[in-house]
Amino acid sequence: MRRITPLVALSISGVMLLSACGQDVAAPNESSSSTASAATGPAKDGGTVSIRGCTPQNPLIPSDTNETCGGNVLDAVTAKLVHYNSDTAAPELDIAQSIDTTDNQHFTVKLNPGYKFSDGTEVKAKNFVDGWNWAAYGPNAQQNSYFFEPITGYKDVQCGDDDCKVKPKATTMSGLKVVDDHTFTIDTSEKVSNLKIRLGYTAFAPLPDSFLKAPTDKKWQKFPVGAGPFTITQNTATQIVFKKNPDYGGKFKPHVDEVTYKIYNDAAPAYNDVVANNLDVTDLIPTDQLTNDQWKSDLQNRWGIRQSGVFQSITASSKDKQLQNQDLLKALSMDIDRPTITKQIFAGSRTPADGWVSPVVDGYKPGVCGDLCKYDKTKAKEMYDKAGGYKGTLTIAVNGDGDHKAWSQAVCNGWKNDLGLNCQLKITPDFKTLRDQITKRELTGFFRTGWQMDYPSIENFLTPLYATGASSNDGDYSNKAFDAKLQEAAAAPDEEQANKVYQEAEAMLAEKMPAIPLWYVSTPFAWSTKVTNVKLTPFGTIDLTAISVK
Amino acid sequence: MTEPHDSSLAKDALGSSGATALGAVLEDDLSGIDATTGGPVVGTKPRSLWSDAWYDLRRDPLFWISAVLIVVFILMALFPGLFTNKDPRQCDLSVARHIPSPAHWFGTDIQGCDVYARTIYGARSSILVGILATLGTAIIGSAVGLIAGFRGGWLDTLLSRTGDIFYAIPLLLGGIIILYTFPNQVGTPYIVVVLKVVAALAILGWPSIARLMRSSVLQVMPHDYIQAAKALGAKPGRIILSHVLPNAMAPVMVVSTINLGSYIAIEATLSYLGIGLQEPAISWGVSISDASGLGYVRSAPFMLLFPSLFLSLAVLAFIFLGEASQNAFDPKRH
Repeated sequence: MRRITPLVALSISGVMLLSACGQDVAAPNESSSSTASAATGPAKDGGTVSIRGCTPQNPLIPSDTNETCGGNVLDAVTAKLVHYNSDTAAPELDIAQSIDTTDNQHFTVKLNPGYKFSDGTEVKAKNFVDGWNWAAYGPNAQQNSYFFEPITGYKDVQCGDDDCKVKPKATTMSGLKVVDDHTFTIDTSEKVSNLKIRLGYTAFAPLPDSFLKAPTDKKWQKFPVGAGPFTITQNTATQIVFKKNPDYGGKFKPHVDEVTYKIYNDAAPAYNDVVANNLDVTDLIPTDQLTNDQWKSDLQNRWGIRQSGVFQSITASSKDKQLQNQDLLKALSMDIDRPTITKQIFAGSRTPADGWVSPVVDGYKPGVCGDLCKYDKTKAKEMYDKAGGYKGTLTIAVNGDGDHKAWSQAVCNGWKNDLGLNCQLKITPDFKTLRDQITKRELTGFFRTGWQMDYPSIENFLTPLYATGASSNDGDYSNKAFDAKLQEAAAAPDEEQANKVYQEAEAMLAEKMPAIPLWYVSTPFAWSTKVTNVKLTPFGTIDLTAISVK
Repeated sequence: MTEPHDSSLAKDALGSSGATALGAVLEDDLSGIDATTGGPVVGTKPRSLWSDAWYDLRRDPLFWISAVLIVVFILMALFPGLFTNKDPRQCDLSVARHIPSPAHWFGTDIQGCDVYARTIYGARSSILVGILATLGTAIIGSAVGLIAGFRGGWLDTLLSRTGDIFYAIPLLLGGIIILYTFPNQVGTPYIVVVLKVVAALAILGWPSIARLMRSSVLQVMPHDYIQAAKALGAKPGRIILSHVLPNAMAPVMVVSTINLGSYIAIEATLSYLGIGLQEPAISWGVSISDASGLGYVRSAPFMLLFPSLFLSLAVLAFIFLGEASQNAFDPKRH
């Protein structure tokens, strides 16, 4: 799971998709005229660029980083079995030569020879198997260890209790076996139809021998060694410098020689630096600059906006008995004027949600939410009254450090005006406080929930969020029929069929809502006059392989 | 001229004590001469400090400007309906960030609320916080200063050092810490939210008043009429209430009036930081906070301008009033 950090959430905003574009799986890249021509121009090799970064919160170990600041760094440094296409997010084989399966439960992975870590050693099958075993091993306490959950034997490497006093039964997962230097097999405990897509997530990056020999060495926390296109040469509190990895053996070679990742704590200075050409790329535009399209005039022909795999919603607390009433929930959902809010608050840079799955992923189906996500105040009022209304003060909890006050206030105002209910915001000082209160189930009323996809699959927007007992099921949603559909989809013979069943599962969410969909988020970005071919990936990150110096 | 505070009292004293009588006679003599010009003043009754101050104030244009502004702001706080018939909480998002127009005199804000209505209704919080915090600091500070100055000795040391401890905490920093420690819950009544801010300001603001009070008490104490009252066996309470307090109050009043303005500014600062008054409370600080951001300043400057203007005017009005009364109460002028 990658929870969006507040700073990123602050300015992530969406492409204003017109209704016709809504079905595009590959998000259209709305941007200024020059981009289109620049993108087609031949890219020059060499040169250095600086891009906006933020402080990684965790050690830079692939299995320990679950937020975007560190994730962006690791994406540049690591190569995985699978690479997500930077335009369509479709999975493409990278280190893997093939990933074969006949039953979605037993997989054989063949590696391309010639991939090297930045320390010069070759990437072999054991780097995956040993690396994953290390990452999944309970006592190592890696934050992303749950990504290995589908693999057979995962339970045996977990600690017996919370403090890990009871050591795991095994040190390796029985589902992983090295066949030869360039082949290994993965067995999963249950059928997984989209394992190939999942394998592109950072947690599945191979780990070099040097790391596996001494995983506790502090240097890995700042200078990870990966098989990716870049390697870190400098890592301080103010900047992280990447150099081209001379040993890189993959297809996704960057044009630039050096990338400086300048650390900013706030969107405004990064924006000002790009306007003044002191910084080459920022993927964070302050929301207030988006109003009246000011940023587009500040940045003539050097701005873009890209829909990314982020979905935002409000979830009703499972503690709040009144909100367990589905009719009430539906009435409230119907009374959110999504188009006006996205236009007035987000300056047209977010798209009203019409379901629970982001349009950028494979398997997205438009209009799943139907009338429930369409603003109709008379019908909403009718349903609200019929449902018995809400007694007391309804609250929406949001974090105060992420620019969430304006939209939540607008939702509240809308409910107050149309339904006559008493609505108030509950603003926590920061993102962490909000998450803690959600995890401890301390809140009542609604709270903000956002989800940035880990891998581009419809499944990633459903299973971790709404399956009974799932890791990020903040609203304690439980729907037996839905759970059964998810399992059916996971066992589907191919992705196409799996997606179809996942879509059926998503449709069930409209019957019994787990969360009120708000909008899909995109990222506006800007660049200096020095660089060209600037693109964002569907994950909302800067595409370091495409960018080049003019 | 910091002698007895009112002429009738002086006349009472005349009959009862020779020592005060002498003072009163002396005072009568002196007050016949205008200190500013030095020449004799003809046809004026002997004036007390208070009537003197009032006499000066009436001639000070600064006083009238500030008085008019303050009356307007107080009216605004008490009866916002007099100024606008719009509901500040009735917002229409579809007309957000509308420029000033006949329908919305000051334009609309991010949520589409009428900026004029919100600015008018915002006066209540600021004035309430300002007046209550001033009353709070004045009462606590005066009491502590009086006791410290009047009693002296170890009690003085104790109270003064306690005051120093609080004085060392910067007002804004302390306010942030206190309000952060006691956050508002959803559904906290408006008046409790206001009183929390007031309490934070009162707790941190009293030492300066206490110091001031103590020093003016120490100034008043050696005077003959106090000695006389003591000699006559007056109880401490009576001495304080009828002799010390009336003659030591003036500096406290002047400083409190000036402080009132700065308390309003601090309330706005705390609200701007999101820990003073919060939605659904309407306050200038909250409005300014919502409207700030370079992009908003460029696209809709009026959202920021009007609440800021009102805030500045309110702060200025109280500071002007303080200034005017400072001049009026200044003993050097008489």
